[in-house]
Amino acid sequence: MTARGARIDSLRTARRRGLAALTEREAFRVLRLWRQTIVPQIIAATLFVVVFGIALGREIREIEGVPYEQFIVPGLVLMGVVTQAFANNATSLYQARSDGFIEDPVTSPMAPRHLMVGYLSGGVLRSILIAVGTLAVARIFVEYPIERPLVLAATIVIAAIGFSALGTIVGLYSTGWEQQNFTLNMVIQPLAFLGGVFYSINALSEPWRSLTFADPIFYAVSAARYGVLGEAEVSPWLSVGVTTAVSAVLLAWCWVLFRRGVGLRT
Amino acid sequence: MSADARAAESTPALRCRGVHKRFPHDVIALDGLDLEVPAGSFFGLLGPNGAGKTTLIRSVVGLNEPDAGEIAVFGHNALGPGGAPTRRIVGYAPQEIALDKFVQVQQLLELHGRYFGLERRDARDRAAEMLEQFDLTNKARAYANRLSGGMRRRLLLARALLHRPRLVILDEPTAGVDIELRQDLWSYIRRLHADGTTILLTTHYLDEADELCEQVAFIRDGRIAAEGEPDQLRERFGAPRLEDVYLQLVGR
Ligand SMILES: Nc1ncnc2c1ncn2[C@@H]1O[C@H](COP(=O)(O)OP(=O)(O)OP(=O)(O)O)[C@@H](O)[C@H]1O
Ligand SMILES: [Mg+2]
Repeated sequence: MTARGARIDSLRTARRRGLAALTEREAFRVLRLWRQTIVPQIIAATLFVVVFGIALGREIREIEGVPYEQFIVPGLVLMGVVTQAFANNATSLYQARSDGFIEDPVTSPMAPRHLMVGYLSGGVLRSILIAVGTLAVARIFVEYPIERPLVLAATIVIAAIGFSALGTIVGLYSTGWEQQNFTLNMVIQPLAFLGGVFYSINALSEPWRSLTFADPIFYAVSAARYGVLGEAEVSPWLSVGVTTAVSAVLLAWCWVLFRRGVGLRT
Repeated sequence: MSADARAAESTPALRCRGVHKRFPHDVIALDGLDLEVPAGSFFGLLGPNGAGKTTLIRSVVGLNEPDAGEIAVFGHNALGPGGAPTRRIVGYAPQEIALDKFVQVQQLLELHGRYFGLERRDARDRAAEMLEQFDLTNKARAYANRLSGGMRRRLLLARALLHRPRLVILDEPTAGVDIELRQDLWSYIRRLHADGTTILLTTHYLDEADELCEQVAFIRDGRIAAEGEPDQLRERFGAPRLEDVYLQLVGR
């Protein structure tokens, strides 16, 4: 029995449409707010290239046989990816929860996995745009190769998914705005800065060198560096492997929260 | 009439059995509530502030998770992740106004339709239809946070009805809506009802409930205190108005 001539499509079709709509909504938010979501991070990364790479690069000529301004580009790209994927989803989820409009998709027939994928898409899109933008703008100031484009692309996408998931987790657990800023400024930014964006860990003395191996962002930076320069501190198998494992764990955690309705149902 | 058709007719639009919901600090919002809303009825859920009306409704649409009990919509389970598919046939207008402020009104309705499984074009047509119906066409390009309170309420109703639900749940839909629109709204809901849609409504305007509802249930402290047709209830309690029944049953 259907009401007033409505066509009843299969549940699968219905849910696929729901997911497409939610993905579109998250993408729309990123694109509409591009002055806040895309531009600042690209400018910040470019300033790092100019200040550290070109101005200070006269003092530090080379690291591991690579011109300094080249050396820092991949790390800056990855720093943008992890911080902005996180920030996007922590903000979007928390806003939707605190304003209450998340109830519309939550009361829809979509399953937890559709909601999860739909919300992740915003952070992933934003960080991919930032990665591409940073690479493009840095190119104006620095000549750099992209030796292993597939490794670079895979690293960006995998890290983007993992850190969007982390942002979603924080967005679902938060009870106030300060918690997202705290996580970003006190956890993610420091881990990114200490993850070898600006220096080679081979230059570090103990215990700093060993401690860096406990920093998950180090592996993502190293994998991106391998993608750009064709060489890095650790093997690409290790760096891409750890990055993938970390993202998989974050994604699984995120899925459990959607499944249990944490932050969505009371 | 076939056996199937008879079975379909007797399946209630909403069936709640022993629904229990406890919030932190020992607040028992629903205390083993039983309720049946017949298919095709216009049903009023009445009761004082804090009686558990919204908690029950939010449980039906998957926003609250009851600790115990069963909830079925047209015979389909509505609880837990397995209940999600059931929500295709439920339309819900919340008591608290919560609208996405990042998208325009028309887009907000289209997105809703698509979340609920409509095709893009169908969602667009329905959105235009609903805007017209609720006198919001000239606000199609506005952002929801730029609407007046009554317009936001109308937008919530438009959203609830957009995907052609068979069970429409309205939690205090007329709060803050002006008189003319309130009448328009009711005549529209009546037409929907005449077409076979089941309406479940909460309101604190008892005259409205008396006039509109074929059946009402009084809820107090998370349980149903009495239910029936307004006429019967008035008779049973020897009260001239539904308001007097209310005061006897659930008044302080
Ligand atoms: N999220 C929540 N956390 C804690 N307590 C809650 C929550 N939601 C509702 N309650 C409590 O549950 C009880 C029932 O509330 P509910 O909102 O269902 O009442 P209601 O009948 O809709 O009242 P009203 O007519 O005021 O809308 C109240 O005591 C309320 O404080
Ligand atoms: Mg209420």
